[in-house]
Amino acid sequence: MSDSSSNLSSKWTTILSFGVIALVAAWALAFLGLGQHDHRPALSVLLGCLFWTSLLIGMLMLTMITRVFDAGWAPVIRRNWEFMIGALPVVLLLGVVPLAFLPDFRHLLWEWTDLKHILPSGHEVGHDPILQAKEWFLNEKFFLVRISLYVVFFSVLTWAMRNWSFKQDTDRTASHTHTLHAFSAAGIPLGAVALTMLAFDCLMALSYHWFSTMYGVWFFALSIRLALAATVILTYRLSNGGWLDGILNQAHRHVLGCLMLAFTVFWAYISFSQYFLIYTANIPEETFWYNIREFNPVTGLKSDWWGVSMYLIFGFFLLPFLALLFYRSKIVPKRLLTIAVIIFIGGIVDLWFNAVPRQIVDKTAPEGFTVSPFLCGGLATDLLAIAGFGAIVIGLFLRSATKAETIPVHDPRILESINYHE
Amino acid sequence: MNERNERIFGVACTFRKPADVFHAAEKVRDAGWTRWDVHTPFPIHGMDQAMGLPRSKVPRLTLLGGVTGFITGCLLTWYMNSYDYPLIVGGKPYWSAIFPFPVLYECTILFAAFGTFFGQFILNRLPHHHHPLFELPNFARVSDDTFMVVLEAHDPKFHVDDSRNFLQSLGGQEITVIRD
Repeated sequence: MSDSSSNLSSKWTTILSFGVIALVAAWALAFLGLGQHDHRPALSVLLGCLFWTSLLIGMLMLTMITRVFDAGWAPVIRRNWEFMIGALPVVLLLGVVPLAFLPDFRHLLWEWTDLKHILPSGHEVGHDPILQAKEWFLNEKFFLVRISLYVVFFSVLTWAMRNWSFKQDTDRTASHTHTLHAFSAAGIPLGAVALTMLAFDCLMALSYHWFSTMYGVWFFALSIRLALAATVILTYRLSNGGWLDGILNQAHRHVLGCLMLAFTVFWAYISFSQYFLIYTANIPEETFWYNIREFNPVTGLKSDWWGVSMYLIFGFFLLPFLALLFYRSKIVPKRLLTIAVIIFIGGIVDLWFNAVPRQIVDKTAPEGFTVSPFLCGGLATDLLAIAGFGAIVIGLFLRSATKAETIPVHDPRILESINYHE
Repeated sequence: MNERNERIFGVACTFRKPADVFHAAEKVRDAGWTRWDVHTPFPIHGMDQAMGLPRSKVPRLTLLGGVTGFITGCLLTWYMNSYDYPLIVGGKPYWSAIFPFPVLYECTILFAAFGTFFGQFILNRLPHHHHPLFELPNFARVSDDTFMVVLEAHDPKFHVDDSRNFLQSLGGQEITVIRD
C-alpha cells in the first residue's frame, strides 16, 4: 500500500465521526418533529437512508452483474464496490429500520399503518375500502417482517460478495471466483425481487392509494445510475492520490461512461413509460399521484414540483444524455466527473420528487388537502441526513480498505483488468 | 500489356508476428503515410493508435440521422393529428410531445440506424465488388497466420522502389507489387 492510500484510509475515523454527528442531529430533528406531529424531518432521515441504500444496492447489483458476466475490465473497480457495499446493512439499520419499528415514526410516515389517521375525504384509514382490499399485504406485521427480511437478505449477500473476494487476497484460491459466480447468479434475481419490494414498501407505500408496476424497475435504474456516478467520482479521487493512481486508465473511464449513458437512457425509458401509461389510461386513482406533483390543489396553478419534474427531464436526463453521446466526454477525466456529479445531484432530486409530495389534510382548502412544498426547511434536513449517511458510508468504505488489498491482486482476471483496453 | 494492366495498386509485405506488424505500423505512421492499410487475422489491441487512425466519423452520421428522425416524427404526428385531420383521441390534445413520444423515439432510432448503416456504407466506399488485393496469391493467409502491411500507390509518398526498400527495412518478408 502506498503512503497516499494509507493516508486516505487513516481518515476513516474522522469521516465516520462527522457522519455520526450529522445523523444524530438529523434524528434529533426527527424527534422534535414528532412532538409537533410534523412528518417532514422524519422523511429527511428516510430520504437520506434511501438515497444511500439505492446507491449501495446499485453497487451490489453491479458487483454481481460483473461477476456473472466475468467482466474482464471490472476487478480493479469492483474491489471498491465491495468496500462500499459493506455499509448497506448499517445504512438500513440506522434509517429505515428504526423508522419502521418505532410506532410513532411509522404512523407519521406510512399513514396506512395508523388506522385512526384521518384522510382528506374525512374518513379514517381503517375504514378505507382501498386499504381493506390491500390489507393482506399492507398490514403492520407483514410490513415489519418484510423490512427485517431486507436487512437479513442484503446483509447475507453483501457479506458473501465481500468474504470470498477478500479471502482470495490471502489464500490465492481461484475457485472463490466460481463461488462468487454462483452466488451472483442466484443473487441477481433475488436481489431484483428484494429491491423491488423495498421500493414498494419504503417509497411507493408512502402514498398507499397509488400503485405502479414500473416502480421497482425505476428504483433499479436510479440505483445503477447513482452507483455508476458515485463510482466515477470515487475512482476520480482514488486515481488522484489514492490506490487507483496509475491503475485506472482511459478504457476504464470509457466503460463507466458507456454504462452511465446506457442507464441514463434506461432511467428515462422507465420513468417516461410510467408517466405515459398513467397519462394515457387517465384513471383518477393513478393520475392523482402526478397531479399533486404538477398543480397546487388550492389555486390550480403549476406548483414548484412542476419545476422539479422539468429539472428531471432536462437536467437529469437530457443534459447527461447529450453530453455522454460524445466520445471525449467519456474519456476526459474532468468531463466525466462533471457529468457524474450532475447525475449524482439529479438522483437526490428524483428521490425528492418521488418521496416528498404528499396530501396534507387541510379542511380550509377546496379539495380538503394541500401538498407539501418543495422549497421549505425540510430541504436542509434532507441534505443533513444525506451528508450524515454519506459520511458513514465513506468512513466504512475507507475502513474496509484497511482490511483487504485495495486491488484484488489474486483475482484470476486482475492482469486483464489492469491492462484493459478499449 | 495495355496501360491499364500496368497500373500499380501498391506494395504489400507480410509479417509473421503481431508484434512485428505492430511496430512496422508505427514506423509507417511516423514516416507520414496516409494511404495504407494493415491486414490481420484477428483484431490487435492498440492497432488504431499504432496506425494513427482517427476516430470513425460514423457516430456523427448516426447523430444526424437521429435528429432528423426526431424532427420527422414530430412533423409526421403534428401533420396527421393536428393539421391535416385534427382528431381528439382519449381526451388528449391534438398535438403534444407526450402522446406521440413512442413515435418520436422510434423514428429517432430508425433514422439513427439508417444514418449508421448507410453512413458506414458511404464512408467505406461500399459496394466494392472487387479489390486488387484479392489477386494476391497469399492474401487468404491474412485470415490465417500472416499479417500484412499494404502501402497504396495513391499516397503522395509512394514510389515503387523506395516503398519496397522501406518495407524491407521494416523487416517485411514477402514483398509483392500489386497491379491494379
